[in-house]
Amino acid sequence: MALLEMHEWYDLARDTNWTPGYVAEDEIFPPELSDPFGISVEQWETFDEPYKVCYRDYVETQRDKDIGAYSVKSALARADFFKKASPHWKALLALHFSPIGFAEFHSASAFARMTRFSRAPGMRNMATFGTLDEMRHGQIQMYFAYEFIKQDRVFDWAHKSSKTENWIIISLRHALDDVEHTRDAISAAIMTNFAFEQCFTNLQFIGLSADAAKAGDHTFATMLQSIQTDEARHAQIGTPLIQIMIENGRKAEAQQLVDVGFWRIWKQFSALSGISMDYYTPLEFREHSLKEFMHEWVVDQFGRNIKALGLDLPWYWDYFLHDIETFHHCQQIGIYVYRATQWWRPIACTSPAERDWLEEKYPGWNDTYGKCWDVVADNIREGRFERTVPVVPPLICNMCGLEVTGVAGVGRQVDGRTWNATNFHLDHEGRRYHFCSEPCKWVFELEPARYQGHRSIIDRVLDGTVPPGPDGFYEYMGQSFEERGVCGYDYQWIDGYDMPRAAAAE
Amino acid sequence: MAVEVKGMKTWSGLAKKRRRPSEYEVVTTNLQTRTRHPDQAYELSPAPLLEMNEFYKRHVSESPLQHPDWEGFRDPDEMIYRVYTRIQDQQEQYVDGLLDEHNEIGHDATLSDAWLDVLERLYTPRRFLQMALQMGAAYLVQIAPASTITACAGFQDGDEFRWLSRCAYRARELQRAHPERGFGETERRTWEEEPAWQGFRELLEKTLATYDWGEHFVALNLVAKPAADEAHRQLGRIGRRFDDGLLGLMADNQMRDSERSRRWSAGLVAFSLENEGNAAVLSGWIEKWVPLARQAVTAYCGALPEQDDAANAALGAVESFHRSLGLDA
Repeated sequence: MALLEMHEWYDLARDTNWTPGYVAEDEIFPPELSDPFGISVEQWETFDEPYKVCYRDYVETQRDKDIGAYSVKSALARADFFKKASPHWKALLALHFSPIGFAEFHSASAFARMTRFSRAPGMRNMATFGTLDEMRHGQIQMYFAYEFIKQDRVFDWAHKSSKTENWIIISLRHALDDVEHTRDAISAAIMTNFAFEQCFTNLQFIGLSADAAKAGDHTFATMLQSIQTDEARHAQIGTPLIQIMIENGRKAEAQQLVDVGFWRIWKQFSALSGISMDYYTPLEFREHSLKEFMHEWVVDQFGRNIKALGLDLPWYWDYFLHDIETFHHCQQIGIYVYRATQWWRPIACTSPAERDWLEEKYPGWNDTYGKCWDVVADNIREGRFERTVPVVPPLICNMCGLEVTGVAGVGRQVDGRTWNATNFHLDHEGRRYHFCSEPCKWVFELEPARYQGHRSIIDRVLDGTVPPGPDGFYEYMGQSFEERGVCGYDYQWIDGYDMPRAAAAE
Repeated sequence: MAVEVKGMKTWSGLAKKRRRPSEYEVVTTNLQTRTRHPDQAYELSPAPLLEMNEFYKRHVSESPLQHPDWEGFRDPDEMIYRVYTRIQDQQEQYVDGLLDEHNEIGHDATLSDAWLDVLERLYTPRRFLQMALQMGAAYLVQIAPASTITACAGFQDGDEFRWLSRCAYRARELQRAHPERGFGETERRTWEEEPAWQGFRELLEKTLATYDWGEHFVALNLVAKPAADEAHRQLGRIGRRFDDGLLGLMADNQMRDSERSRRWSAGLVAFSLENEGNAAVLSGWIEKWVPLARQAVTAYCGALPEQDDAANAALGAVESFHRSLGLDA
């Protein structure tokens, strides 16, 4: 073949900046969308991603990836797997697919902002692949979710969730819109590509993929892995940007972007991947606990990467290490007891064997979260099902949108064996805002105008936005009667608790 | 007792159509989150507290181009990612074949000085024009009020990058064959200074500085892009007369992408016309932008050798596209 290799010509494809002559530069690159840091265009032109890809190779590689993922054979295997899957795995699939289609598709727009407004030509090219990748991730996951809808209507939420006001969807949109969609191209790229994609997509796409492979859901595992290969490619955008920021005296700004982005995305993954890995994955298929995975893939790797770049660990690092062991356990209780506010069928996943596993992975689990589950189990055993559902609505964090639960070892908690819900609050311009944690409050205080006008689902109940009456809340959230979550095991998980007693009596 | 699990025929959002949805509809519709509240496109403080919510409100919610349900738009090609990569991989394979064959026979060494002058002046600087088209498409991706529009613009964004890349590739090949010339070195200066390009530079710079989503769509997809691509078609056509068959074949291939852009753009215009008042808005914008396009095409095509009325041919194609949009009725 008498074709040039990419390295022989690609430098020209990255030489595409020109000086506007018919409009002012700021009209094409408004600082608030392009670069509020005042770094010169010559500096941005030094942007150099480590692993380069050209369009020609991109479409070939991506075509091949999709041929495997969409094969008829794997579709049949998937349908068959789903029919036989336990409520555990069905809950996991529903939790994964419901929000992810629109969220990934939406990310195509974040990359498009980088293509449009970045003054680094290499970054514009890379971000174009990012836009295409995210369209792929949205579409392939919609396709997979759609295969299940004939069997299970909860998957309708893969399509409808984007426009609902369900509290979990609000929480996700709030985080993603904050990190990816409402900032200038550089800030959004540092937060999205470095703090989000380099740190966390591994969790859902590698961690969960390992569990899926073990569970025999090979097509799900393969799809997750193929998505991660795209993420790894376009996530490269973040690192060179941070280097340019540091070289140009903007280290503090870069640090803050990483700290905010990392925290905001951690909260989402803590709930999504934490519950998926430590609860919804059937016990026999669990590869790692969230904590183990976080330590290997996030704490160690991110810790190394950030120091190598010349930044520091986020100021809340010790708090974060606590949070890894605690937050998702609290959220799992909330998700189960407020199950009617979710569209899927939540499951408890606290049978005696599962509790043993949780205790082993999270020493002290039985004495903290386990005590809550004891109360739930007792109520079910006594047939007091109504007592398994709280009568009062939860307090919702005005930053992450998740339940304010407090975490073990924090706040009024002293010995690490029990915990109290701690509400971090702030009075700002005549109203009180509630937060689940110090970092969520800190993010708010950095830029109050960005957040203060947003109303959590509970704010909307209190201000009358949510219609009154027993169904008003659910209808507001887009949930018909059939779309309100019920216990995925119809409380049968409690049977396991009787076995040890029965065995003792023999 | 296991919980009863019920299925559905299709997404509830598509059920009212009472027909089996295509894969395109299944995976592309209703994925937009930005249009739930006019002053709160993004789930943070509403406008004007959050700048980006104010930006979206001004440029989309308050755009003169309105439709109650943009999400109802459908791409006539029903393009989805896995088909896009398959089609474009084939097309790129074809272009690789062209480049390979022409390289084998030493094509670039055979080009005349007169034609090399043209390539240096009017072809390889095009990568800057492609960059502008790519940035324009990327703006549509992020501002569009429907996921089906975002998808069309996303593929267009990819297409523009495709041709930016091929143009850069050719610049390097020509540079190697003719190192004494300015290939690979002078494109930026030519783009910024050569009179033949200044019309397009003005058109594209002004398009990029247009943020109303509807006007940006009209300026880019109904005017600037068709004009820029039709001018390129003329370059390719004339190239054949100067024994540059490669450029002609590549330009033909590029027009396939350009025509797909025109199909979805025409589809979006047709969809917009469901709403009374949009016809006048669209026509008004076309009238506003066409003079710049005419000036651009005239300057560019006027610089082509043995042009044979190239400007009128290019402008005729753009006008015929406009006539097909049904805006005159």
